[in-house]
Amino acid sequence: MNPYATSIMTFSLILGTTITISSNHWVLAWTGLEINTLAIIPLIAKSHHPRAVEAATKYFLTQAAASALVLFSSMTNAWVTGQWDITQMNHPTSCLLLTAAIAIKLGLVPFHFWFPEVLQGSPLMTALLLSTLMKFPPLTLLLLTSKSLDPALLTAMALASTALGGWMGLNQTQTRKILAFSSISHLGWIAIILVYSPKLALLTFYLYTIMTSAVFLALNKIKALNLSMIMTSWTKTPVLNATLMLVLLSLAGLPPLTGFMPKWLIIQELTKQEMTPAAMAIAMLSLLSLFFYLRLAYHSTITLPPNSSNHMKQWYTSKTPSTPTAVLASLSILLLPLSPMMHAIV
Amino acid sequence: MNPTLLINSLTLLTLTILLTPIILPFLFKNFKNTPQATTRAVKTAFLISLAPTTAFIYSGVESVTCHWEWKFIMNFKIPLSLKMDQYSMTFLPIALFVTWSILQFAMWYMASEPYVTKFFTYLLTFLVAMLLLTTANNMFLLFVGWEGVRIMSFLLIGWWQGRADANTAALRAVIYNRIGDIGLILSMAWLASTFNTWEIQQAVHPHQTPILPLMGLILAAAGKSAQFGLHPWLPAAMEGPTPVSALLHSSTMVVAGIFLLIRMHPLLATNQTALTACLCLGALSTLFAATCALTQNDIKKIIAFSTSSQLGLMMVTIGLNLPQLAFLHISTHAFFKAMLFLCSGSIIHNLNGEQDIRKMGGLQKMLPVTTSCLTIGNLALMGTPFLAGFYSKDLIIESLNTSYLNTWALLLTLMATAFTATYSIRMTILVQAGQTRIPPMVSMNENNPLITAPLTRLALGSITAGMIITSFITPTKTPPMTMPLITKTAAILMTILGIVLALELSNMTHTLTHPKPNPLMNFSSALGYFNPLVHRFFSKNLLEKGQNIALHLIDLSWLKKMGPEGLAELQVAASKAATSMHTGLIKAYLGSFALSILVMILMTH
Repeated sequence: MNPYATSIMTFSLILGTTITISSNHWVLAWTGLEINTLAIIPLIAKSHHPRAVEAATKYFLTQAAASALVLFSSMTNAWVTGQWDITQMNHPTSCLLLTAAIAIKLGLVPFHFWFPEVLQGSPLMTALLLSTLMKFPPLTLLLLTSKSLDPALLTAMALASTALGGWMGLNQTQTRKILAFSSISHLGWIAIILVYSPKLALLTFYLYTIMTSAVFLALNKIKALNLSMIMTSWTKTPVLNATLMLVLLSLAGLPPLTGFMPKWLIIQELTKQEMTPAAMAIAMLSLLSLFFYLRLAYHSTITLPPNSSNHMKQWYTSKTPSTPTAVLASLSILLLPLSPMMHAIV
Repeated sequence: MNPTLLINSLTLLTLTILLTPIILPFLFKNFKNTPQATTRAVKTAFLISLAPTTAFIYSGVESVTCHWEWKFIMNFKIPLSLKMDQYSMTFLPIALFVTWSILQFAMWYMASEPYVTKFFTYLLTFLVAMLLLTTANNMFLLFVGWEGVRIMSFLLIGWWQGRADANTAALRAVIYNRIGDIGLILSMAWLASTFNTWEIQQAVHPHQTPILPLMGLILAAAGKSAQFGLHPWLPAAMEGPTPVSALLHSSTMVVAGIFLLIRMHPLLATNQTALTACLCLGALSTLFAATCALTQNDIKKIIAFSTSSQLGLMMVTIGLNLPQLAFLHISTHAFFKAMLFLCSGSIIHNLNGEQDIRKMGGLQKMLPVTTSCLTIGNLALMGTPFLAGFYSKDLIIESLNTSYLNTWALLLTLMATAFTATYSIRMTILVQAGQTRIPPMVSMNENNPLITAPLTRLALGSITAGMIITSFITPTKTPPMTMPLITKTAAILMTILGIVLALELSNMTHTLTHPKPNPLMNFSSALGYFNPLVHRFFSKNLLEKGQNIALHLIDLSWLKKMGPEGLAELQVAASKAATSMHTGLIKAYLGSFALSILVMILMTH
């Protein structure tokens, strides 16, 4: 892409995110969200492939609807309470509408339908941005208003998200769709703890960002768009495949990897809040996503795949090592012993 | 000299001498356990055991010794106590005498066996277990001896392990005995719970003993002593070497069941139903076995069925409430049955392994000592007057005729007596008399004293044992003194009838063209069709039930349908349902968003 265009898009993304995060007024928050939406549309439709264009269209329609709903909820709140402060969202209907709108923006069930298709239509790096950066502003809005939100609604949406992310992910062979459903599952975990401990939700989101970024960067390196490409990539990048396996298991939440930390702390917090059945349910539903993570991990480390490769490990490497992948992968595997520090920092 | 002390110490000395060939190799490294050493140990034990028996005969002292007590429950005593009464005192020298002769014979018979020392050690262990069974004072020690003889029987029947038939026969013996053990354990449990002891002297019920433990005892005796219903193992046990057949399955092990009933006689005596059950079971067994023996062609099988028939006769005696007479028959039967087996062993080895009597004949000229002893044994078996068998068998038949009992049992026993004579004479004639039918290139001789000495000794015993035992043991019940002439001579008449029948039939075979198969002969030679009817049914049932439980219930339903596979199918179904929801049409998506928001608003207000 044209460097000028790329730089405009990148700066717009950063601008939009910063505006939303640091805003106190609802209109400014909405502005930031809209800037983000508009900035990423060209990045999705970069390749002019019909699928990419369709993805961009779907993204625009849903996100625009969601932003309008955000504005609508803040307006009703302003009408009733007379102020536009984000943290003082007191009216229950406004809270409900705001929750629905942010759910559309994030991709929580039952508002998740756009997410897998948009992710499938976009290139891998844009998919990374969509999964991590684009979720940050809406999540911030939820965090700011977390005191007034309805816990039952959020718990219902969270459990449904984890369940649906698990069941749908079982039936996929395209890696981007798999990662979309994994994102939906993780958002479920974030949503369930949002009301009780916003700090923990934020911590979960940060860790999820680190792990997903590591996965996306690794998949980008080996250009793996479906499962069979992962199976044969070990000849070119054996170490990356092994690391990818560990990062995927960390996403699944297996101790002693980092991904265990948010799950453990969330279950502990839920039990303290006398929500043990919900904790048990969400833990059991995560087992479904464990299956497809294991499948991905297995495919990345299999050395005798069904689709034959022409050779064993190549003696030359054409892939240059990249620092962000290495750093992010290390963080997503090894951070568990630092849990007290992480909890305190966030 | 105090007879009690004499009896106790000498009996213990006998038992210890028997154990020396087993224990000494552990104590002295140079001690080589040879068959000669084992035979010598048994001979010494026999000679020493004559001393306490003489003391017992002289003084009539019966004693119980207690050596050690196994205290594992507070109220229940399990002492290691041995009882020396008339039964064990008489049985000890008889068993040792017979075993000595058999071991001496086995030194010749098993001379070419590579593991001959192990064989002799097995036989010795068996003997120790049997003697433990007979001298036991409580049920625990009896059970130890019971199981010991069963295990040694299994090892010895399957001695030639490479032979599939031998392994099957050993397994058959174990399984049938085990079914009897169920009864024994049942009665042991009842005994322990009712009398709080396993001592037999303390088990006296004031009124009629309940039928359940007695049925258990009868089942145990039926299993061990091959009564009808649990009998197929005894003919199959002939797969073992001849010394094994002579020791276990004629003289000692198979009488263990009858011996149990003799010991528990005070319990049995009060319950008339149990006595009648013994009577009928014994009568049926004796006739059935005698019928089967009529058409057998294997010499060892004939002698096996003859053993089975005599065991039935002993059971009948128990049913008549005459334990001492049954024991007398056990003692005399040991002599001539062991001798019959040893004679057959000599014949088989000399004919290079030929066991079919249709291929023997005219052996009288070639093996004079063996065949003479065979004749003596058969005559004793038939109850020829004043040989050993006469004293016990004739008394039993006389008591049968003069007691108030089941006519059917009486008739069956008399018929069995006739059949006994028939098959014995048939065997004698086909083996010894007439033209010889052996293959021409066998060289047979019995010059080895290892053959002739035991046979002669046992022949001497077969002739005189009855007289000696009856002279010295006082009967506890008055024998019937007066009876009509026909009743007195009933036994001998039936025997003569059987002999005449056999002679007639053997004459007929010279003039027959080709025997036509008729149903009666088929019944007899197929052993009453018992084996194919029973063996297939029970084992198939059990195996099918096991398969159903293991495969259908556990594997298929619990571990597959309810467990992993069922769960996995559920998830697949959910996944398919969820996938069909994601159609890709944005209008549907946006519509669902609107609907969801509407539902949410309506639900919360």
